[in-house]
Amino acid sequence: MASIKVPEQKVILCGEYGVGKSSLFRRYAYDTFVSGSSRQLTLGLDHYNKEYRINDKSIGLQLWDTGGMERVASITSSYYKFAEAAILVFSLDNAASFHVLSQHLLEIVTYAENAKIFLCGNKMDLEGSTPQVTEADMESFCEQCHNLISATYKTSCKTGEGVEEMFRDIAYHLVQSNRSRIELQSVDVNAFKIAPAEEVTEPSCLC
Amino acid sequence: MDEEYDAIVLGTGLKECILSGMLSVSGKKVLHIDRNKYYGGESASLTPLSELFTKFGAPAPDESTYGRGRDWNVDLIPKFLMANGQLVKLLIHTGVTRYLEFKCVEGSYVYKGGKISKVPVDQKEALASDLMGMFEKRRFRNFLLFVQDLKEDDPRTWKDLDINSTTTLQLYEKFGLDKNTQDFTGHALAFYRDDAYLDDLAIKTIRRIKLYSDSLARYGKSPYLYPMYGLGELPQGFARLSAIYGGTYMLDKPVDEIVLENGKVVGVRSGSEVARCKQVYCDPSYVPERVKKVGQVIRCICLLNHPVANTKNALSTQIIIPQKQVNRRSDIYISVVSYTHQVAAEGWFIAMVSTTVETADPSKEIQPALDLLGAVHQKFIHVSDYFEPTDNGTESQIFISSSYDATTHFETTCMDVVDIFKRGTGEDFDFSKVKADLGQEEQ
Repeated sequence: MASIKVPEQKVILCGEYGVGKSSLFRRYAYDTFVSGSSRQLTLGLDHYNKEYRINDKSIGLQLWDTGGMERVASITSSYYKFAEAAILVFSLDNAASFHVLSQHLLEIVTYAENAKIFLCGNKMDLEGSTPQVTEADMESFCEQCHNLISATYKTSCKTGEGVEEMFRDIAYHLVQSNRSRIELQSVDVNAFKIAPAEEVTEPSCLC
Repeated sequence: MDEEYDAIVLGTGLKECILSGMLSVSGKKVLHIDRNKYYGGESASLTPLSELFTKFGAPAPDESTYGRGRDWNVDLIPKFLMANGQLVKLLIHTGVTRYLEFKCVEGSYVYKGGKISKVPVDQKEALASDLMGMFEKRRFRNFLLFVQDLKEDDPRTWKDLDINSTTTLQLYEKFGLDKNTQDFTGHALAFYRDDAYLDDLAIKTIRRIKLYSDSLARYGKSPYLYPMYGLGELPQGFARLSAIYGGTYMLDKPVDEIVLENGKVVGVRSGSEVARCKQVYCDPSYVPERVKKVGQVIRCICLLNHPVANTKNALSTQIIIPQKQVNRRSDIYISVVSYTHQVAAEGWFIAMVSTTVETADPSKEIQPALDLLGAVHQKFIHVSDYFEPTDNGTESQIFISSSYDATTHFETTCMDVVDIFKRGTGEDFDFSKVKADLGQEEQ
């Protein structure tokens, strides 16, 4: 434990099935886009670490996908635990996916009460054809949420527009809000992850 | 729901979630249903605190006393993880460990003659222990050294003992251990719940003590781990594993019928929908006609606003009351966790007393344990039936887990899961099938 590592900041994706959470994940992680929507596409997506450098400070974002659990059931409460940020994702061409966000917001504030919350309208490439959610709608949502929303974004996973900018901005917000905490390393020092035991070829001698 | 699956899993308790995860990882198409609207079944941790009070019909808890309700996550079935045990191995091999954080339980105590003492786990502690007299300490130390050095594949380490025929009692006698030492060794180190093990093979006892000392060596203070936010995080972690490998989850879904054709399962009906499948895996509550009651377990949840006396103010402990100490046939276990694990509001402790029921008045049976706890703010007692499946499932292809027993750790839980998996799939679980391509591995 010679070097102090800046802890990864857990960032979770929240929102209805089909709004493009896994597409955001895939853009973020591999900068790819797969068209068409099939359940298969979400398979195997768990979480992905990425480093950002913000004004001389480096911060690791660890983005988590839902694993598709929200398709029929609800997401486990443990998905939210330890999250530093949550991105509420909706589809700009689907008003229903926007109006249901208050429900997702409630789960975030219940299970990840310290997380910073961001609002992301995805599929902006489709917005022109069927504009269902406007900037004004997004603004009034933020007002209704008593300023719980730290920032809003519009993205297109298809073209890649706005995606990297969003994650960079979220990294910036987290550096700002966590500055003192990261410097003090005041994360719970007693809790740990379990890892495979070191393979010891020769059992240690007790004599 | 109207699709065909390889397996339908009913109930999201820990055993079912591990099975669901293992089946999905093995490439099976899995549908996982729970009749409740939350994950975890009996393995859930109740939150907020009012859920616990409602469950037991008590008036709502007062926030000025108990703090914020949602700071509480109260387990219904108390258990710890052995740091080197089966569940930890499963967590590591499946990668579910990445979803969880743990703390080491601070101490392990054993009851003798009305008071508790720290369980000595190495020769240094053995020599300092107040459980034994001077000469007994030396004998116990020699015994511990023998157990630690013994290698099953190296007869030279057996010290003239035929490990394949010697009984535990003969082993104890060889080292001259007195009844008291035998008592805490068998019950607090090897976790036998009664004394039948004395006539069983010594090697079994030796393996259990080794598990204890290997677990202790992993993280230090005690051989036990406990997850932050409570045990309910465990089934959720395995459920996520299953979902990531393609498992479909449905909560709040009534299960009305397990559909059979020629004595073999073909589907599960909910209302008018039928999901077809080749196999069903479930807990006893979904198949009351296919399980038998083999006993009862009493569990008592106690909310305290102070640590347990004589545990050095530990924020987490395990206390074992060996059967003989209180004239019983099965041990009484106490597990204590607290606000440090995010399962209680600041300053609060949750002590759980559990044991196998032996009389018609089970709440009286746990009195010696309650006496150790001191002032208890609120107490909830529940007695639950312990069920086992009536058959091994190979004919009906319905594989049923046993209820959670009174043991203090997850070793029997995992043995049941691994056994069911083998019966269901005909193979041992291949850990190498869990690929590391889930996002990216921890560096």
